[in-house]
Amino acid sequence: MNIFDRRYETMPRAELEQLQLERLQALLARLKRNVRRYREKIGDLRVEALADLPRLPFTTPEDMAAGFPYGMFAFPMREIIRLHTTVGPEGKPLVIGHTRNDLTQWGRLVARQLVASGLTANDVIQMSLGGGVYEGSAGYLFGAQVIEASVIAEDPAHIDSQLAMLQNYRPTVLVTTPLNALELMRVMEHRRLDPQSLHLRTVLLSRPVGSATREQLSAGLFAKVQSNFGLGEILDPGLCVECGAGQFHIHEDHFLPEVQDGELIVTTLCREAMPLLRYRTRIACELSREKCSCGRTGAILKPGARLDRRLCVNETPLYETQIAEVLAQTPVSGRPFQVQVSDRRIAITLPMSEDMFSDTIWVLEKLRHEIESEFLTRLGIEAEVRFQGPPQPA
Amino acid sequence: MSMLLQVQNLRCGYGSLEVVHGASLHVCAGEIVGLLGANGAGKSSLLKSLVGLLHPWQGDIFVDGRPTRGQPAWRSLSNSMVLVPEGKMIFADLTVRENLLIGGYHNPDRLLQLEIVLDRFPRLRERTSQLGGTLSGGEQQMLALGRALMARPRLLLLDEPSLGLAPLMVQEVFREIRKMKDLGVTVLLVEQNVVGTLQIADRAYVMETGEIILEGLAADLLHHPEVKRAYLGQGGKKSWE
Repeated sequence: MNIFDRRYETMPRAELEQLQLERLQALLARLKRNVRRYREKIGDLRVEALADLPRLPFTTPEDMAAGFPYGMFAFPMREIIRLHTTVGPEGKPLVIGHTRNDLTQWGRLVARQLVASGLTANDVIQMSLGGGVYEGSAGYLFGAQVIEASVIAEDPAHIDSQLAMLQNYRPTVLVTTPLNALELMRVMEHRRLDPQSLHLRTVLLSRPVGSATREQLSAGLFAKVQSNFGLGEILDPGLCVECGAGQFHIHEDHFLPEVQDGELIVTTLCREAMPLLRYRTRIACELSREKCSCGRTGAILKPGARLDRRLCVNETPLYETQIAEVLAQTPVSGRPFQVQVSDRRIAITLPMSEDMFSDTIWVLEKLRHEIESEFLTRLGIEAEVRFQGPPQPA
Repeated sequence: MSMLLQVQNLRCGYGSLEVVHGASLHVCAGEIVGLLGANGAGKSSLLKSLVGLLHPWQGDIFVDGRPTRGQPAWRSLSNSMVLVPEGKMIFADLTVRENLLIGGYHNPDRLLQLEIVLDRFPRLRERTSQLGGTLSGGEQQMLALGRALMARPRLLLLDEPSLGLAPLMVQEVFREIRKMKDLGVTVLLVEQNVVGTLQIADRAYVMETGEIILEGLAADLLHHPEVKRAYLGQGGKKSWE
């Protein structure tokens, strides 16, 4: 059985609940001591059993944004040895801090996923996660270090260099985003490259995909495909482990999950730098504690759609308000627009007005280019701008 | 590893003064678990409540899954739980041998057990007929440990065994505690000596003003900012606000 930490991953429910109660009580004591925002919120509330959890206050993404940058930290900066950023509500940045122990724990939690995916010290891992806001590569790096697998440190952005690396370095594991995996598969098909000529055994995807995509990738890359479900504000990867039966088991010794009104709520039990109490993840989720054939006892998560207006373009989170903000920096500021979102880019349709119109084509082309490059620089996403209809009076 | 001792939400105190405000902890069979904290954090009171020397006000205690809260202190022996109290509390006017035999009073095989304990602590074998009060501090602590082992406990509760000992003796006592694991004895070790405890323990809890504020692997706690600040003297308390 591919289980890294048998003691905690397969802990009987009664013992797990004892551990969770202990860690929750200790967490409350620490929050009251170290984080002013929580001290005010928690007051004299005490937890005598896990059933008291609903009495505790929530933490929302808005709270985190309000505490930007370091307001949610439980320790002074000198104890924080790593800062990561993620996207908060309406595209606002959030800062996630880690202490030395946080990073150690992160490595152990990711190692659980790597071992569950069948990785050993004999594997060579290539990461193609791209730049952007996804900070997962650090997590995979720590995890690989724990199981002593080899990691190719370079993260090639271009598909050609990825392919060259797959052929030259002969990695057995590819950690990548679903979009990149699909692109890789497409390019290989186009160039008539036999996936069996590579040495790939496992493809680890950075986010969950449907079973059709999974099968398509598995056949196209000739490798076992496993995915990950994480939350940038908490841990991504490292929140849960996808077992052989394809279920996401949350690490219940580290995170206390609840589902309220269909929304996943997570309390971090062991985080030092930035503990979160009842964090509202804004993700629809089902939670079940059915017995799983893999032997793990952590609750099974079935993540669904996002409950806020966050879109995802080319693996980058995006809010409509951000689009309006970018447009506000261009000559078409304040005009109505329509957005169509696809996996890789957004298409923006702007109704043509008389003052924008010019009978010289390069003037319109220049305007379009200006808007498109503004999106690329500010949000890192490709936008396709279309002007629509006959010029209307402004 | 099954949980040998489970404590849930324990509150206890003296008179009207509550000193432990709802502590929860567990000890798995075969583990050495440290319970760390400064003076007055409530560690010793918690230990006393576990064996029934102090009546818990609220909460549950399970030994091997059986509830034991509210049982008198003498019953803790039948739960194979033995407390070595702070300050050794050996009988100064009795010989080492007599001290040990008292520890195994209820044990029909006490003479056999005596040999096992004396093998464990050769220093005591050399001094079997010496009066307890004439032993050095470290030897008295060994005697207290040996006396506890005479009852063949499964769970040994140690209250500050390093207190008042010379540094070299402290190391030796910790080494002996580490060896308890080989005898199959599970240890809950209450201590102020943070580094020593974290070096021999598997896991540890940190208590402050009657509350448990941390739980974790001993090796991780050595690097915990809170532990470093409060016990290892590195960095002052300045919250980032």
